[in-house]
Amino acid sequence: MKRIFAGGLFALSAFASSAVADESAWTPTVFNLDNGMEVVVVPDHRAPVVTHMVWYKVGAVDEAEGKSGIAHLFEHVMFKETDDLAPGEFDSIVSRNGGVSNAFTSWDYTAYFERVAKDQLGTMMALEAERMTDLVINDDPDGPFISERDVVKEERRQRIDNNPGVILQEMVLSELWKGHPYEITIIGNMDEVAALTPADGLAFYKEYYSPENAILVVAGDVTPEEVRVLAEEHYGAIAPTGTAHGVRKWAPVAPLTDTKELVYSDPKVRQPSWSRYYSGTSETRDRELSYALDVGLEVLGGGMTSRLYQSLVEDQKIAINASTYAWTTLHDEGPAIITASPAPGVTLDALETAIMAELEKVLEEGFTDAEVERARNSLAAQAIYARDSQSNMANTFGSTLALGGSIEDVLDYPDAMRAITTEQAIAAVREIFGTDRHYIEAHLLPAEGDS
Amino acid sequence: MKPFDLIIGAALGVGLAACASVETQDELASVADTAPVALVEKSGLDIVVHEGDFAEIQQFTTPGGVSVWLVSEPSIPILSVAMAWEGGEAVDPEGLEGLADAVVYHMNEGAGDLDSLAFQTRMEELNMSFGCSASSDWTSCSASMLTDNADEAMSLVAQAFEAPRFDAGPFARFQREREVSLNTRETNARYLAGRAEAQAIYPDHPYARETSAESIAALTPELAKAHMRKLMVKDSLIVTAVGAITPEELAPMLDAIAASLPESSDLPETPEITFTVDGAFEPVLIDLPQPQSLVRFLAPGLKREDPDFFTAYVVNYTYGGGGFGSRLMESLRVQKGLTYGVYSWLSFDDTYQNWGGSGQTKNESVGEFVEALLVETALIAEEGITAEELADAKAYLTGSYPLAFDSNAKIAGQMMSVRQDELGVDYFDRRNALIEAVTLEDANRVAAEFLQPDRFSFIVVGQPEGLN
Repeated sequence: MKRIFAGGLFALSAFASSAVADESAWTPTVFNLDNGMEVVVVPDHRAPVVTHMVWYKVGAVDEAEGKSGIAHLFEHVMFKETDDLAPGEFDSIVSRNGGVSNAFTSWDYTAYFERVAKDQLGTMMALEAERMTDLVINDDPDGPFISERDVVKEERRQRIDNNPGVILQEMVLSELWKGHPYEITIIGNMDEVAALTPADGLAFYKEYYSPENAILVVAGDVTPEEVRVLAEEHYGAIAPTGTAHGVRKWAPVAPLTDTKELVYSDPKVRQPSWSRYYSGTSETRDRELSYALDVGLEVLGGGMTSRLYQSLVEDQKIAINASTYAWTTLHDEGPAIITASPAPGVTLDALETAIMAELEKVLEEGFTDAEVERARNSLAAQAIYARDSQSNMANTFGSTLALGGSIEDVLDYPDAMRAITTEQAIAAVREIFGTDRHYIEAHLLPAEGDS
Repeated sequence: MKPFDLIIGAALGVGLAACASVETQDELASVADTAPVALVEKSGLDIVVHEGDFAEIQQFTTPGGVSVWLVSEPSIPILSVAMAWEGGEAVDPEGLEGLADAVVYHMNEGAGDLDSLAFQTRMEELNMSFGCSASSDWTSCSASMLTDNADEAMSLVAQAFEAPRFDAGPFARFQREREVSLNTRETNARYLAGRAEAQAIYPDHPYARETSAESIAALTPELAKAHMRKLMVKDSLIVTAVGAITPEELAPMLDAIAASLPESSDLPETPEITFTVDGAFEPVLIDLPQPQSLVRFLAPGLKREDPDFFTAYVVNYTYGGGGFGSRLMESLRVQKGLTYGVYSWLSFDDTYQNWGGSGQTKNESVGEFVEALLVETALIAEEGITAEELADAKAYLTGSYPLAFDSNAKIAGQMMSVRQDELGVDYFDRRNALIEAVTLEDANRVAAEFLQPDRFSFIVVGQPEGLN
């Protein structure tokens, strides 16, 4: 059998002509229920298990002014109480059936999932359908909404406030996205989270949670027909609420018009770091530029063989690490980042001078064909390795569709990646990191007087 | 960036509703005789096929003497190979702490004619990965590749074992990196808790030794190269593989690796750590300037061979191992809103066993957190668990087991841990019955014996308030 995603320099010519042969084995089936809910079935018959996900087209981007964190707090509350399920019962039913469940919130979407033996798929659908329609949020001061708010505040401390590097990143992103709905981090500002009320939760539920605003993804050892029958039974009967509007607050991110430097010192920092955040792009806004940028940044700072690593870490020995990457999978434009950490005894100024010298050299001289070919093949090969994880595949298709993309965007990724030319890769890097571009520079430093 | 990197990677990017870790540390049971299901002779290989409930495992020994467990999985054109040898960081000589780490660091840093850059470039050309790591007791290597060029990828791996370079450039880089981590570890709450645990329970054991500026500076490429030939030897090599490959294809690739390994070596035995109820210690507080404290709690545990092991494993699910359903999560997170997560574990390697756990709470509520934890612990010790809780624990632990075998990576990991612990190829098939056999009477006897609050000691890292 011909391998579709055969990688390596030597398999390239064979690739293009045989790209379709094997895909049927894992190509998803897509259909819609009458109420507008989209369904994606991703085959994976290696083990008798399924990954069941419901994606809602709402995220932190859609929050109202002053209500930061509601999308994520609401996601927590979805595990609490419904007409038919007492608090905690959702989890205990899933566990008792040998399943695991969880959820996550992004700026762009919110997703709930269960992983379970395939014969329990119907039960999982019944549970998700129940909380899609009959969630209970009351204003009992001792009730689950209030205690869950405290849990989220602890989550914020654990993820952000305990970690100086993340505190600085939050400051930088808020500056980079100033005026855009991404400006406030997903988990929300502490004060705004503390002020969220059960009424906010209910309003959010009515505004966004409805079948026509949801995508069902089932990956695993099931056929599209089996999923269709179960989905029609459990989700098909749900009428759209009539209160959900499906209007997203996405907007183009304005490029930076000023250069700024942010410095954060903390007694917990024992190793300084230096970063520059540039205005980048996104796959949704500009797929071709995004892919070219991914390839270009792989060559510039993607790993040990990259230009920056070889120059700063290997040759000059003034950095412990140096890398570049871009956030291209948000709906709206995310940052493109250069980051490095100095070798012992090296100042951030000296590090910066060396990084910029290497960057300018690359911008001027360009890339070689061989390094671009390696980079694009590596990125394309990741798509094959990714297939080993069922939840990974479910996530990839779910997030792509939630952003308004298509199944083809995922299936075409390796070919599109391999089609990026040396000229496109360097042009993308020049466009984003050009010497006339503005940026936010971030310095993470030990506290004054610290060793 | 691939579509899902952001979700997994961005601390800011995602708010998980919970971090219900599923198969954290898989439990293991006693050894049983292996019943070969089929014997296939082909190409000179004797292959014993075990038709297990979760995977069809092919066991064979290559002509070069390598013992292999392989699951052939043709649906994705990839191959993962894992190798392991008993003996890891705990056998670093005194004063040369970091030596095993130096060995594994350099395994993909150049071999034969290829220097570090050339070796890394070659891996990229082949779209493969290869690297090694060391834990306290094991040295491990793994390689992932596309089956189309598995021959070339495995030759590169063989070259890494035959002619590793240990060049001065990468070695100095290794030392610079480790010099930096000597500093960064001093503000890492988990590292500090681990050090406090070692100092309180086993200060003189090899597990308690740490790298230092002196020990890192004392390392040389020559020492590392010589130590590699002690850690990675033929007679203790175990291999597991999963992927689109047959035993006949795989065997010669592995023999090319084994050909350059020394036959055997002598490594010092690691003594056992005795942690009993007499080892309970006064709370240890470690100051770290951050808004939230880490609380670690520890009591003596039990060995995997202990007849009560599976009973304890089931009780731990109800106590604090079972995510949202556990008593600790229900009380400290759901009812009191004190934490994003609190978990308990059974740690049961051959050397050191404990029944412990961990959670984080804001500094102001550490006193309340510890108090609530002790209340729940006393309650489960005194009153035991209910028949319904026992049934729920068994239903989850047995029902979710297939999820531990739904990818090549997970199957490879499961097979490796069963091989390392010598549990037998049929362990996966027997494991659920061992859980089902736990009785309520035994569960409550074990809870009463092991979960007495006065058996627990506490380590707190942060700036806690309200602790008595």
